[in-house]
Amino acid sequence: MMRTVVIVTLWLATALAVPGFGAPVRLPAPSAQDVVAAMLTAPSRVDYEATKVLTAVHQDRAETVTVRESYKRLGHLRLEFLSPESVAGRMLIDDGASVWQYEPSQYLVIHGPSFVRSPDGSPSADDILRSSLVVVVGTEEVIGRQTIVVAIEPRDGGASRRYWVDQATGVILRTEERDATGEIVFTSFFTRISFGLNLPSALFRFTPPAGARVIALYLSGDAVQTPEALRHEAGVTVPSTLPYGYHFRAGTVARYGALSAASATYTDGLRTLTVFQTAASRMAFPQVGVPVKMGTASARLLDLGYFRVMIWQSRGINYALAGNLPVPALLLVADKLTAQRP
Amino acid sequence: VTHARQQRQLSAYLDGELTAQETEEVRAHLADCATCRTELAQLRSVKVLLGRLPERSAPQDLWAALRAQVDQPAETWIASVSRVVRGAFRRPALAVAAAALIAVLVAVPLIRGRLDRLRAAELGPELYVHEHALAAAADPFFDRAYLGLLISDASLALVGAPREEPKGTR
Repeated sequence: MMRTVVIVTLWLATALAVPGFGAPVRLPAPSAQDVVAAMLTAPSRVDYEATKVLTAVHQDRAETVTVRESYKRLGHLRLEFLSPESVAGRMLIDDGASVWQYEPSQYLVIHGPSFVRSPDGSPSADDILRSSLVVVVGTEEVIGRQTIVVAIEPRDGGASRRYWVDQATGVILRTEERDATGEIVFTSFFTRISFGLNLPSALFRFTPPAGARVIALYLSGDAVQTPEALRHEAGVTVPSTLPYGYHFRAGTVARYGALSAASATYTDGLRTLTVFQTAASRMAFPQVGVPVKMGTASARLLDLGYFRVMIWQSRGINYALAGNLPVPALLLVADKLTAQRP
Repeated sequence: VTHARQQRQLSAYLDGELTAQETEEVRAHLADCATCRTELAQLRSVKVLLGRLPERSAPQDLWAALRAQVDQPAETWIASVSRVVRGAFRRPALAVAAAALIAVLVAVPLIRGRLDRLRAAELGPELYVHEHALAAAADPFFDRAYLGLLISDASLALVGAPREEPKGTR
């Protein structure tokens, strides 16, 4: 007994006398390059099954959705929506080649293109560090796991994202996105997660229920890589750059029934902005959202919360701009697009 | 079958137009078939009656009239149309039906084009959301669950089964 008291006293004395002695061992924070590389390679290294909560600001309110998310390498994803009631029971199974969406309230299955991109097609860590500012903010614990907190924002400023990256696996356990004013516009976080479960392949296969209506919905055409190629493909003119540091990434012609639209996708290194052009002779002006004033033309703004769609008409073309820029920025981009047309 | 075939040969038999073998076959059939014998007798009576009719020569101007028709130039399409129109005015119901048919043929594509434009305006925003969400999937750090929600909402709206708008704050 006496011996134990002596040892504890000695430890306490040493701990008080030597700064840092007795504290938990802290490893030096990894570099931004290492964290980004870990985030990029996680989908090719880790399977998981988890419950996630998503919140997106929608005008003056926030919409929260809970989903059970299962992921299996490479690019197999199963989403089962739990709440709110309007999405409860909905299921999405992406097998990496196509996605099956089941809507139990309509007894409807929609079969469309996969939206999970393979890590091979992703930008490298160097690409991301070139186009964005990446800073390791520190470490934090999320659902009992140690994470590295990293902040990423485009080099031209604007919105920023913060990620809580699981130190052991590279999986993003929590995401937070703020707009240019610093307001949070989107958050997502896991409330529980299990790794290495060896999830069965059957979990990522979908067989439509007997009697369910199945609709095939493949919209996008083949992508082109330059504005010139899109002009050749669709007869529309699009610039190679837009304000706020956005540059052309890809273009395509999307068709649904009698409707077709040429779309050009731009990125600022972090976010995506898409410009659509549809001949006014083929599409009446959509009366959606709220009216906004754009120079001499009238425009409509559809606010979906996390992102907005602005639609306007100029010289026989219906334009649409979809992205998460704030409204004044969308108006500026719209003016630039309308002005550059010959 | 033999009876029917021999019956069809009776007229030719009467006129002496059959070969010797066919004549023998008909004759042998007549010996056994009362029906054919009766029909042959009726045919013979008709032939006798026709033979008693006086011969009439064609009118003198018949060939001249035929020749005039043959030599007449072909009718132009304008003349054909005006003849049809004149005919239609003589039949008002037919004219109204034709006008209605033409109006329908012209109006259907116009109405269809207008409906397509309106339908496109309804679908356009959903198509934009759907395609933008798919394009945003190229961002390696974007939340895939949220993208799944956006894409599925837009898909449902495109196929005409949109999710009910949320009521109030959730």
